[in-house]
Amino acid sequence: MELSTETFIKKPKISIYRNRKKVWIASGLAVFLSIIGFIVSSLDSSIRLPIRPGLDFTGGTQIRLERDCDNKCKQISTKVISEELSNLSLSKNELSQKFFGARVQLLDDYNSLSIRVPFLSASESKVVIESIENVAGPFKAGGQYIENIGPTLGPQLLKTTLISLFAAFACVAFYISIRFDKKFSFYALLALVHDVLIVCGIFSWLGVYLEVEANSLFAVALLTIAGYSVNDTVVVFDRIREINKQENSFNPSQKIDIAVSATLTRTLYTSGTTLLPLCALIFFGGSTLYWFAIALALGVIIGSWSSIALVPSLLTLNQEN
Amino acid sequence: MARQQGWFALLLALVISAFLLCINLPFQLGLDLLGGSQLTLEVQPSSPSEKVTTEQLEAVQAVLDRRVNGLGVSESSLRTVGSNQLILELPGEQEPSRAARVLGKTALLEFRAQRANTKIEMQKLQKIRSQLKSIGLYQELSKNNNSESSNLPSIQNQLEDIRISLGLNKFVAKNEAEQIEFIREKTNNEIVKLFEPSFLTGSDLINAGRRQEQNLSSWEVTLAFNKDGGEKFARLTKSIAGTDRLLGIILDGESISEASVGEQFKTIGISGGSATISGNFNADSARELEVQLRGGSLPLPVKIIQLRTIGPSLGAENIRKSLFAALSGLLLVAVFMITFYRIAGIVAILALSFYSLFNLAVYALIPVTLTLPGIAGFILSIGMAVDANVLIFERVKDELRRGNTLIRSIETGFSQAFSSIIDGHITTLISCISLFYLGTGFVKGFAATLGLGVVMSLFTALSCTRVLLRFLMSYKTLRKPTNFLPIQQLPKEITIT
Repeated sequence: MELSTETFIKKPKISIYRNRKKVWIASGLAVFLSIIGFIVSSLDSSIRLPIRPGLDFTGGTQIRLERDCDNKCKQISTKVISEELSNLSLSKNELSQKFFGARVQLLDDYNSLSIRVPFLSASESKVVIESIENVAGPFKAGGQYIENIGPTLGPQLLKTTLISLFAAFACVAFYISIRFDKKFSFYALLALVHDVLIVCGIFSWLGVYLEVEANSLFAVALLTIAGYSVNDTVVVFDRIREINKQENSFNPSQKIDIAVSATLTRTLYTSGTTLLPLCALIFFGGSTLYWFAIALALGVIIGSWSSIALVPSLLTLNQEN
Repeated sequence: MARQQGWFALLLALVISAFLLCINLPFQLGLDLLGGSQLTLEVQPSSPSEKVTTEQLEAVQAVLDRRVNGLGVSESSLRTVGSNQLILELPGEQEPSRAARVLGKTALLEFRAQRANTKIEMQKLQKIRSQLKSIGLYQELSKNNNSESSNLPSIQNQLEDIRISLGLNKFVAKNEAEQIEFIREKTNNEIVKLFEPSFLTGSDLINAGRRQEQNLSSWEVTLAFNKDGGEKFARLTKSIAGTDRLLGIILDGESISEASVGEQFKTIGISGGSATISGNFNADSARELEVQLRGGSLPLPVKIIQLRTIGPSLGAENIRKSLFAALSGLLLVAVFMITFYRIAGIVAILALSFYSLFNLAVYALIPVTLTLPGIAGFILSIGMAVDANVLIFERVKDELRRGNTLIRSIETGFSQAFSSIIDGHITTLISCISLFYLGTGFVKGFAATLGLGVVMSLFTALSCTRVLLRFLMSYKTLRKPTNFLPIQQLPKEITIT
């Protein structure tokens, strides 16, 4: 049973060409809001940077303790702990100055608490925990988490992160320019920057309003987003190339619409199947991976948008000329 | 038909061996899952303009390695990172302060003779030092009794007296503790200056030990010199025996003990190639010095730039949570796939389970150290592994809708999806590789599991899914297009071959 090529290709379900202005407005608005987010965050006196940096980038000490209570933990205020910290006069008094900028948070319905102070040594951290035990204790024996990051590590980490991000961008662009052509590669790169920029923008707003911090896990998320978003875009490219090889009477814009429609189900399903495990991570993965999974999920959604709508709409621009 | 079964048998054999691997080889768990301490040490170059060479880094590593072994922490690991950093992992260690103290010191031990005619200066400085010590003790006591405020002026006066006797300028620091620290350092420097330069150092030691002093609660550290060192020590002690010159034992530029050498050693010095240091050691500090001396002194100073301690129950909770997240993620994907792809969905789920199993087997085999971000990478790669199946099945559905036969649709589906699958996987792999090479620590863990996942998914999608699908299709009852698509989506005229 043979069918002609013409009936192989279905009529496009959606037309990117007709809606391309809407796509540009939506993407443009998102990028604009992200940039506003960077500005607002930079102007915020407690941040002074486009995104609120996490402990890994600023350096310092974070102590997280789990309280050992029978049923429900007694409510205590962060003020009591802060006062205890400032009362803490050790034989080495230089410590008292370190608590000037201490940040105390109570988490999980008073079940655990987190303290953020400038860099402490191992023995200093121990003294701090002992003194807080008086007001907020007892603490669970195995439930402590202490992280001390020296001030030199942050800039180093930022540097390697940026280098690996740009290296990944460059490699991916190079690969696409070999497999497809330079224009495709340029648009894919543009889409990458668009995706990463918007995820950063959302996190800079989250940093301003919810004090969400961008740590090195966030940087990892950005890199993964870059790889993932290109994956989707490449599938669309692949279909365009396949349609171009066939003999048919469609004009370039129609071909793009057909390619997008043909891959639409696949892109949506794939995003769905990637989002499902991410949702599992968000809900059950615990606090360490919470914002990491959210960043990835956002990246998947925005990456799908740019693969389905943004890149094809940019391609129609190119085909006209 | 027989060929399909043969391939299927091979796949089953692979699955069984992967399973056996998983249960027989232990997984390597990272500190965030196990609990313990991680220290990052940075080697400081001798001057800011110089760079640390590979040889120097290795020499530092060798010394630190010996010290860590001396500490007696089981299964510790020390590895170099980049050009000037070392990461030390101490599983199960909850009190890293001891390790931090032992590792952070250069531990350069020197034996020096006091310069002639400096007896008076030495006594004055020693007096100041003991005065400072008693101030420290006093502060400690008054802090416990909460009566420090009333006694503050007297400490202030004492400090002022010491300052004048040392001939120092007025204090810059307002803080009392800083003032004490300043004087302490100054006194120490002055004491060290009273000694002649040394030619006998810790590098002439062959062993170090410790023992409790007789009739006393304090400890002393025993030293055994090599032949050369023994001779040097004898010569050194002979030169000052019976005089008022002292023998200074100086550790990292600080005099920890000054001893007089008795008249009886006038002729041959202290021979026998051994010595003891009895400063103010307690059991812990004697052990620390012993470990440091045994390991040798560091060729370059190191600084601790990162320190992370994770409680064991927190680690156990991390394992529980991430396992639960992985399983529920797999379950959600299973429900999704079976809803949309029917029998092919079941195939995909089987392939995905094999994929997970193969991945775990590879983790155990290489071995990959599993960390929390690593597990996140694995969970994410589940989502990506499904992608290959989705690509194939969508093509198969397309072919079926066009009225192709089932077997032919499946074959075309695989061959058409191939290039998309390759391109998609390679782009993801590229980011993984750049992450792995440029990232450090846990970033590497994430990149490793995600990258392995991508490679493995290429294998399972192109082989497992295919073998499974073909095997199932060799049974006539399953070979129905309605097992793949709802009946209304199929074209009317259909031929089943």
